[in-house]
Amino acid sequence: MARHKFAVIALAAIALCSIFWSLLDVLGAVSHNRIFGVASFENRFDEFRKTVQPHTVYGYLSDNAPNDPSARPEFFLTQYTLAPALVRSTADERLVVVNFHSDKPDDKLLRANQLALVQNFGNGVVLCRRIRR
Amino acid sequence: MMFLCLAAICLTGFGLVRWMFPRPLGWSLHNALLLSLGIGAGAGVVSCLYFLSLVLAGPNFTVLAAVTAGAAIAALACGLGTRRQGTLLAWAEGPEVPWYLLGLFLLAIALAVTTFLVAVANNPHGDQGAWSIWNLRARFLFRAGAFWRDAFSNDLGWSHPDYPLLLPGLVALCWTLAGQDSTGAPIAIAFLFALATAAVLTGVIGVLRGKAQALVGGTLLLGTASFIALSAAEYGDVPLSFYILATLALLCLQDRHPEDLRFSALAGLMAGFAAWTRNEGIFFLAAVILARGAAALRFRDRTGPAALAPQMLRLVAGLLAPLAVVIFFKLRVGGASDWSSETPALVLQHLADPSRWIATAEGLVVVLFTLGRFLISIVLVLGLYWYLVRFKVQDARDRAALATAAIALGLTLAVELLVAILFAGDLAIEIGTSFERDVLQLWPAGVFMFFLASGPLQLNAAEKPASKSKTSKKAPKPARRAAETR
Repeated sequence: MARHKFAVIALAAIALCSIFWSLLDVLGAVSHNRIFGVASFENRFDEFRKTVQPHTVYGYLSDNAPNDPSARPEFFLTQYTLAPALVRSTADERLVVVNFHSDKPDDKLLRANQLALVQNFGNGVVLCRRIRR
Repeated sequence: MMFLCLAAICLTGFGLVRWMFPRPLGWSLHNALLLSLGIGAGAGVVSCLYFLSLVLAGPNFTVLAAVTAGAAIAALACGLGTRRQGTLLAWAEGPEVPWYLLGLFLLAIALAVTTFLVAVANNPHGDQGAWSIWNLRARFLFRAGAFWRDAFSNDLGWSHPDYPLLLPGLVALCWTLAGQDSTGAPIAIAFLFALATAAVLTGVIGVLRGKAQALVGGTLLLGTASFIALSAAEYGDVPLSFYILATLALLCLQDRHPEDLRFSALAGLMAGFAAWTRNEGIFFLAAVILARGAAALRFRDRTGPAALAPQMLRLVAGLLAPLAVVIFFKLRVGGASDWSSETPALVLQHLADPSRWIATAEGLVVVLFTLGRFLISIVLVLGLYWYLVRFKVQDARDRAALATAAIALGLTLAVELLVAILFAGDLAIEIGTSFERDVLQLWPAGVFMFFLASGPLQLNAAEKPASKSKTSKKAPKPARRAAETR
């Protein structure tokens, strides 16, 4: 009987301690604000999102460094935010959404990609058109 | 409106399973189990209906509202209107359960629910895999109107447009009926599936092994931190784990009640919905049919060869409708599969590369020892539990069910690992991001098997396990077997 009692209590205790530990972890994560999380992306793209029509295709460009690990998740976030428009990971489209990490657009980057500003939505979100294909 | 939609989903499922296993209404294990199974059944039925409505009539609010309400009313009318009495699912007989077991179980519920709520409050859109795949697809289905097929565009190849639609379909339906896309719908659906999984596990162990084993099993699942985290992450893995558990649990109930073939039919339906949830569910569906056939042949002296054909027929009949929806989706609507981009030469190269096999085996061992984010490896803890309690299949009829579950889970895991070896571009990333989720899909069913096989618990001083008191170990084998079978 004691063996069985010990087995049950040990198993339950480890399970309960583990989920409690996980709860502490989750509570600890509450205070960490993510600058480029989903909510902040939605806020940044809010004005642009209002202009989006279904079935529209946009190109995508950002000022992320080539090896920046957050570049790809940010592209995914842009697509998630702008759905139901389709966003392609290329600047070779008629309309291109540009994701800057500062409020002021980087003209050099736009020129290098042959893009002309159409509208600046603020918060680093810019709509451009391709000058030459 | 969103809550009405969720209520319609649950009532559709409850009505359906109650129509199959009717008993008087009221608080009982039977009705609690039906309600838990009904959440998954309803989610599957309503999701399939949503997809078919979308294909036939487009994203029309009136049609979708009529179909959802009609399904709920029809299922409830069938469930509440039937006069026959179905098989009763009641607690298995056993010793009185000590108060602390119930206390630990309730504490586990409280901690799991709190962890889930804090996690979703902190991250309401779910983890990256959720918003970039499941919720993205739901957004397209809801927001794109007549262009809903853009959800499966090749431009979204990185978001797996070939994945089945159970989860995005449910979320998009809730959003369509509510008229807005809020994070509440995916969160509520994730919560319902986690709750239903824990309830089905606890309930079915309770029916087959008694209250004590059920409470310990439920506590273990609710204490699996990564299972709760995965649920709060809004991935499709927890809904899949529900369908896998429900299928195998219903097949166990089928073996205990061979005269009621509805268990096989409902198990088939659940297996079909597993295939409609994730691609891994398709592997499971094939595995469970093979496993059921193999186990029935191996244990035919207990089940009887005559019982196999009707059970398999019901199982296949149950899964036909959801499988037809999956096949239609894959052939006519879904986007290109990840696999289609791999050349046969590269796949063969992966197959012949021993380093990929070794890395996969190493990854699996690491995952098994770190599974669930337990403070002490759960493999070691379960090993200790087994040493102290031992395995003893109390009812001989459970042997075929245990064999079915073991073969089905083993085959599913083996195929998932083989797919990773053959098709994963970067195997290290695949191991790091997917292996634990693959194992967690099978975890509730694994816990169910473990407690179905473990020996009877003796937790009170005055009691002895029933199996020893009834049939002496010194009795001749045929007499013991006859007693076991009884």
